[in-house]
Order: sequence, then structure tokens, then C-alpha cells
Amino acid sequence: MSLLKLDQATIKFGGLVAVNSVSFELEKGDLFGLIGPNGAGKTTCFNIITGVYAPTSGKINFDGRDITGTPSNRIAQQGICRTFQNIRLFHSLSSLENVVVGGFLRHKTVLGSALCYLPSAIKETDELKTKALELLELVDLADVANTRSRDLPYGKQRRLEIARALATQPKLLLLDEPAAGMNPQEKMELLQMVKKIRDVLGVTVLLIEHDMKFVMNLCERILVLDHGEEIAQGPPAEIRSNPKVIAAYLGEAV
Amino acid sequence: MTQFNFGKWFGTRAISILVALIFCFLLDKFMQGADKSYGRFLMSLAGIYVTLAVSLNLINGITGQFSIGHAAFYQIGAYTGAVLAANKFSALAASKPLLWLLLSALFGAIAAGLAGLVVGIPSLRLKGDYLAVVTLGIGEIVTIIAKNQKSLGEAYGLSTAKIESIFLISLLAITCIAVCRNLLKSAHGLAFLAVREDEVASAAMGVNLTRIKVTAFVIGSAFAGAAGALYAHTKAFVSPPDFSMDVSFLILTMVVLGGTGSITGTTIAAVVLFLIPEKMRDLPYVQMGTPLGVAIGIIVAVVLLRKIQESFHGAGSVRLARNIGSVGSGAVVAFIMAKLLVMVPAFQGQINGALFRMPVLAITLVVLMLLRPQGIFGHHEFSWSWVQKLLGKKAPETEVAV
Repeated sequence: MSLLKLDQATIKFGGLVAVNSVSFELEKGDLFGLIGPNGAGKTTCFNIITGVYAPTSGKINFDGRDITGTPSNRIAQQGICRTFQNIRLFHSLSSLENVVVGGFLRHKTVLGSALCYLPSAIKETDELKTKALELLELVDLADVANTRSRDLPYGKQRRLEIARALATQPKLLLLDEPAAGMNPQEKMELLQMVKKIRDVLGVTVLLIEHDMKFVMNLCERILVLDHGEEIAQGPPAEIRSNPKVIAAYLGEAV
Repeated sequence: MTQFNFGKWFGTRAISILVALIFCFLLDKFMQGADKSYGRFLMSLAGIYVTLAVSLNLINGITGQFSIGHAAFYQIGAYTGAVLAANKFSALAASKPLLWLLLSALFGAIAAGLAGLVVGIPSLRLKGDYLAVVTLGIGEIVTIIAKNQKSLGEAYGLSTAKIESIFLISLLAITCIAVCRNLLKSAHGLAFLAVREDEVASAAMGVNLTRIKVTAFVIGSAFAGAAGALYAHTKAFVSPPDFSMDVSFLILTMVVLGGTGSITGTTIAAVVLFLIPEKMRDLPYVQMGTPLGVAIGIIVAVVLLRKIQESFHGAGSVRLARNIGSVGSGAVVAFIMAKLLVMVPAFQGQINGALFRMPVLAITLVVLMLLRPQGIFGHHEFSWSWVQKLLGKKAPETEVAV
């Protein structure tokens, strides 16, 4: 059975159809790419999946459950977590604290024990911090654990977002343009990291990216959107030679 | 990673609680006596304002929900305490005043907490300016209800049993500070801060926004309600003007001035902002030239300090020297200008120094917002490692390390 299934997902903002009956399926362990020109509806697709918007029509199924219209925080608890195109870190918190917030959704202690500073709350906080530090090591940010995330360079902020998302222990990780603004060296490292996340942690990855080389090298299957509609789906080699995709990106010959 | 040590935890908790109790007790004992009644009243109010400011800081500073109607919950607590003591519990209030005061604070907290829940659930769906307008409205609604209800004494107000207890007031303030500090030390507290930093991202990380916001609102309101009940008995009288919009804004000013989110800053700002105007009531009559001269001196000092902030990027010690120099030259200018201006016949009229209570508050605010918009403490907190660093010792690793 598939992990994530979009069935004719559609969202309209007034007269604008941002995503028009898009359907695709993700198997567990997939590395799936979502590409398309600017304004194609890729991020909106992410927003539908993560519950920022409820789709106008269509169904979204995750891990055997219908999650159409479920609020964001519940979707995160069920195992989908994301990063953002325009980085959305908790800027005045340290790197470590950012990741701790990611791990917070699986907390067991009640607020009262935290307010009274009971051992259970302290222990839990310590555990979350230990786990957070491990994740920071995974994305190679352990040295800046106590730095305010606002003060980190751009590339590190992007990696911190990934660590924070991983802290929620997701089954499916959505990466929105993870390589944006990175230099070739950083992109190579990111590529290795995403592969590691899939292979070592067993997390399914769905990503949006504009860097074709990056997507073609990393993803095993790709979906191309244009004006909110699916125009192609398949392995990288097929997508590369698909005339519709070329037309969408370069325009048709007159 | 330091291992959790139960013995150490228990020891520090027990000592902290004991120290807090002894402190409150001694403060209470020290302020006894008929000759100290004004000082006692001031100290009670200062304690109440600390509670109010720190509890609002939980809502505004830590959770980032801009509420400007905190006096409403303060008022609900005060009227709850006053009404109960005047009717149902008048016997208890007379026979066991301290026990009643404690109960009264509890009732006030419950009433205000419930009100916070009822108000919070629908209104916390709003953000920023919209939430501010709604909370402002709530503040007005509560005052207007009190003004028009016969059972609440209408515009005249309500008298109730006079029970003074510096002990309970300071204990409440310390409890409020401790609760906020405990919260910030835990992962729960980080979730509160995350909501302040970015709502969309926190929701995507699985944080339940509504729950966190409402919780902050309820806890903050409950503390304000408890403070209100204690206020009612300290003054033995409650009336609507004690809980007007001005009070809400004064509390908000304390939070902003102290450094939004900083418990230390809020506490200090609460005491200072409350005491400055009170102390200035005793100022003598002065010639008009004097305050004018001082004002010019302040402007000079602020302009110089701003200049240094904008264009000086050198070493810390040089900067400090320059800052001190600016303040010094401001003081010199103030002195000379005051002396010169009083020679001008137009500025020789006498004016009551106490009139400058409110302007001084306003000027303090303007100056601070110009020189330090993040508040006195910014996001920083007082900690022992910080004291040690200040004393030139190396901070123990345990405080910083994970």
C-alpha cells in the first residue's frame, strides 16, 4: 500500500485554480521530486498535504488514513513534516532549541509538571536535548548548537530546518527547495544528506527543487506541474526528454 | 550532558522555597507598625504590579499574543474577592483574615482564569492588531459592567474587609516569577516561544497553537486575578477607575520597557515604573527654568548617545567611556541651562514638581525606545553564571552545556 496518495486534489482561490486535480502516489522509501515553472502550484501542493490549506475537492490519504482537511499540527503528529521555501526558523531560539521544539510533539509530560519544575519534565527536556544534539550532528551543525538560529549563515539555516523537521520523527519529509541559495559544494553535501536520511533513517522524501541537476541526480521519480496541472510523471530520464516538460520550461516553438 | 540528580534537584528546590518563604516573612515583619502604613501600601502595590507585569509577560512576551486588556482580569479577581468577602465569607474574613486572604486569591485566580478561558478561546484565533483591539474591548466591557451593576457598587465602588499581608503579596509575585521561569527551562516553554516566533512553522512541527495560546492566556489571567483579590483587601475598596485602560497600558509599558519576554526585565521595570511616579509626589516647588534646563540636558545626552550607537564601532571600553561622557555632558548642560534659564524673568514662576510625575514616565519611555528598543534586558534573563561572569569568574559549564 502506498504511503501517501493524492486523489484528484484541487484547490481554488476565488477564480484561480492553483492545483487542478493532481493525483500521485508515494511508496514507502521513495525519493520523489516535484518540479515545475514558477507559480505551477508546487508549494500549494505541499500546503495541501500539510494541512495549511484544505483542498477544495479531492482526497489525501496518508498511511491508510484520510487526512483531508486535518489541521497542520495533527498531520505533523501523524508523521508528515516539512521545511519551508522561505526559511521559517524560530529566529531568536538557538539551533538546539529549534530542534527541541521539533521533538516536542511526542512529549509525554503535562504542562503542570513543567510549571512546577518536576523531575519528569526536566528529564524529558534533557532527553529531547540529547536527541536534538544527535540530529544536529547528523546535519553537521553540532558546533553551532548554542548559536541563535538568526545568526547562522543561509546554508546552515536550511540544514537546521531539515534537522528540526526530522526531530518530529516523520515517516514522510517534505523539502521545499532545500538547495535554494546554496553553492555547488553545499548542494553536493545536501544531496548526500538527503540520501542518508532516506537510507539510514528510512524516511520517505518528497521534494520541490528548481535545480534540475540536483533533482535528476537525487530523485527516482518526478512529477511535473504546470499551471496547477500534472503534465508528466516518471523517472528522471523520461522526464528529461518529455516534449511537454520542455515546452513548459522553455516555451513552445512558434 | 549532565545526568539528572534527584538529590541535588530536591536540595535546590527545598532551599529555594525555604529562602523565598523566609524572605517574604521577613519583609512582612519589617514592614509592620502603624508608622509604616504608607510604605506598606506602596510595597504591596509594587508586589501586585510585579505579579501583573510578569503574568502579562507570559502572554505578550513569551507567547507573543499582544493583549492590552490585562486590567480586565485584574478587575475580575478584585471584584470576586471583594464581593465574596463582603457577603458570603464575611465571618471568615473577620475571624481568620489570612486564611481568607489566601482563599480570596484562589477564588480571584479561578474567576479570572475562567474568564480568560472564555475570552481566550474565540479571540486567540485573531492575530496581532486584531487581538489587541479585542482585548482592549474586553477591558472596557468589564469596567462598564462593574460601573452599571448595582451589586458591584456601580461607579462608586465597593468596600470590603481590609486585610494587609505583604507576606502573601510577595509570595504571589515570587510564585508567578517562579512559574514563568520553570516554564522557560522546559521543552514546554520552548513550544510557547516557538508560537511567538512563527505560528505557521510551529503548527507544522506539531505544536497545537490554540492550546498553547489559551493556556498562556488562562495562566496569565489567573495570576492577574489573584493579584486583584489581594489588591481589593489591601485597599479595602475597589472601584472601576482602579482598573481603567490606563492600568492596562501601565502594565504593558512595564513589559515592553523591561524587555519583552524577559522575566527579570519585567520585574525590575514593574518596580521602577510604579515607584518613580509615587516617589515624585513629594517633589518641592521649583522655578520653571529648572525642568526646562533638565529637558535640554536630556535631549543633548540622548542625541550624543544615539550618535555613538550609529557611528561608533570600536572597542567596548572606549564606547563605555564615550557613553559616560555623553551622559556627563548632558548633566553639565542641564545644570548650566537650568541656572541660566532661571535668570530669565519669564521662567521664574513657581511650579509644583509633583506635576512632572507623568511627563517623566513618558520621557523615560521615549528615551528608552530611542536608545534601547528591545527593552532594558532584551530577551536576556538574570542567571547566576551571568553574575559570576560579571565578577570576573568563569561560568560553570553546567549552565551552558546541554
